[in-house]
Amino acid sequence: MISPVYGPLIEKLLAGEFICAISDEANFAKLQDDETRDSIDAYLKPLNRRLAANDEGSVYFLAYRDLDDGAREHLKQQLGVVMGSMLPLLEWLTYVQEAMGSDGILTAGDTLKLQELTVKTEDNPSLRQRLQSLANDRFFNSQSDAVDGQAKQVAKRLVEHGYLLQPHANRLYFTVTGKIDYLLELVRFVKDEENIPLEDTSSQAELL
Amino acid sequence: MAQANDEQLLSNMFDVGVERLKLIGNHAKVLMQGYLSGGIDASALSEQALKKLINARIIYQPDDSHELKLRHPVVQLVAAMVTDESRRQVNADIADKLQSIRGFVQGFREAQRSGDVIRADNQLQRTEEAVYDLTSQFEEAIFSLWHRLNSNFGFVSNLSDKIRENSRAQEQIRRLIEGLSLIDFDELIELAEGNPALRKLLVTKLQTQINGHHGSLLEVQKRLVELMTRFREQQERSLLVTNMAGFLREHPGFTVGDYAYRSQVPSLVNVAAAIKPAAAVALDRRDQHADIAHIVHGLYKELAIKAKTDDADSNTQAVDNSAQQQAVEARQQQLKHDAMQYFMAACDSKTPLSALDYLHQQTLEWPPEAWLFQVIGEYNSLPRNEQKLFSIERSEHPVSRYNQVIVIEDIALRFTP
Repeated sequence: MISPVYGPLIEKLLAGEFICAISDEANFAKLQDDETRDSIDAYLKPLNRRLAANDEGSVYFLAYRDLDDGAREHLKQQLGVVMGSMLPLLEWLTYVQEAMGSDGILTAGDTLKLQELTVKTEDNPSLRQRLQSLANDRFFNSQSDAVDGQAKQVAKRLVEHGYLLQPHANRLYFTVTGKIDYLLELVRFVKDEENIPLEDTSSQAELL
Repeated sequence: MAQANDEQLLSNMFDVGVERLKLIGNHAKVLMQGYLSGGIDASALSEQALKKLINARIIYQPDDSHELKLRHPVVQLVAAMVTDESRRQVNADIADKLQSIRGFVQGFREAQRSGDVIRADNQLQRTEEAVYDLTSQFEEAIFSLWHRLNSNFGFVSNLSDKIRENSRAQEQIRRLIEGLSLIDFDELIELAEGNPALRKLLVTKLQTQINGHHGSLLEVQKRLVELMTRFREQQERSLLVTNMAGFLREHPGFTVGDYAYRSQVPSLVNVAAAIKPAAAVALDRRDQHADIAHIVHGLYKELAIKAKTDDADSNTQAVDNSAQQQAVEARQQQLKHDAMQYFMAACDSKTPLSALDYLHQQTLEWPPEAWLFQVIGEYNSLPRNEQKLFSIERSEHPVSRYNQVIVIEDIALRFTP
């Protein structure tokens, strides 16, 4: 018998949310306990679900326990969607890195001030163009012509997809969630799996 | 004689030193400009000043170019003073320092043996200075390293430069630690043999300081390695994202393998579809009826409150206006109604009924003027045949002798069927 305190956590997981230390600190802490994870797993068994985590253990989500045909079909379609959104997401990450002049790609726990990003973008034609083409991408799907509107729409979509968290609905600052770690792990996995030759490009030489 | 010579030499050195330090101060702005831009504009200085600066070995003219440059020790001095980490050098030349300490101690011993107290004192002082020089060199280096670490190598702009600077710093630490290992305390103990002042200087004090420096260096090293790991991770992520984005951009039709239909589905890909834990109100449990009724009741209340607040929110101004309007209308209706009541009362009354008396009797709140106006208005709006049923008497008086304005003071209404 599972304790009722896990009810909301299980509901979140069932709804397809990724639980990380940033998006849901309390529940993430609960998931650090082996026994809790086991009992949640046991509870989910009849639903053909189990608790899964990324390699780093920084994000938890639900996976299929048994991969029947239905499950496989769903995974196949889902992978298609994820791969479709991969380029705009990666482009967004490089755009933010460049705009903010930061050393690295955004990582879980970083804060993003939309106002600052907008100001920096407005002052720079190349960044403006990059945001424009990002915003017009089907994934972000912005109808706006203004930098401000585009940036807001992009952020909104990222919140919807769980990559960003908006702590206050009326304040335009965002926190990056652990789902970004998941995305990067997936990118790394695809790269290795498909033998994509990324290492010997000239940009590597430039950076080193 | 030798002493007098020494003194002469010292006083000469003192004068020259003061003069040249002043020279730096006098041209501080030009020199600092030169430090920042890498070259000094000769036109900013007078010919005489230029000569003096070159003679003082503060600046020099490389080859036959026209540009003047600061000499290395001056650059180092400025770098140390403004903690400019990109220029500061960490000098790990320990062997040389140790050699000079040995030399001074030897000189001290010789002077002592020959009974030359002044020279011995002098040599002891030199030894002290050399020891201080040695330790302060580590202090300076460690300070500089911490400063670099704490500023997260902020003095260079991009990540690869930071990685380069970090490995340079690590290399410096390695050399510093190597340098520290050159200090052989057995040798120093031997060197200080039999002299308490030397012993204190070369063994006790130096050992404590060197131990402290060694500890600091190891700590900085540890932190630098940690930071380097973080830099490398950042770099790896940046590269991964940039290169993958580039690849996907160049290969728009790129598709991945059929991971979902493999016998071993990669764990990262296995993200289950969402399940919505839906629930609806059920009435099949009698014991819950009360609770459900309570919820429904609460819901109605909530809806009512929401409707009100929605109304209020939608347009406060408009609501205010219409509320005012409604209030005015209501008052008008009431006035009309009261006037009608007065007409009815007049019908019941045998004698003419004064409008103002009625107002007072019924303790109505209308101002007398408005009341009379309404009564007259009501009377006028009656159909002709009904008007005939009432006789209306006005008690009135003219306002003044000079015009025709007449004020109606009261009205008496009589029903005459």
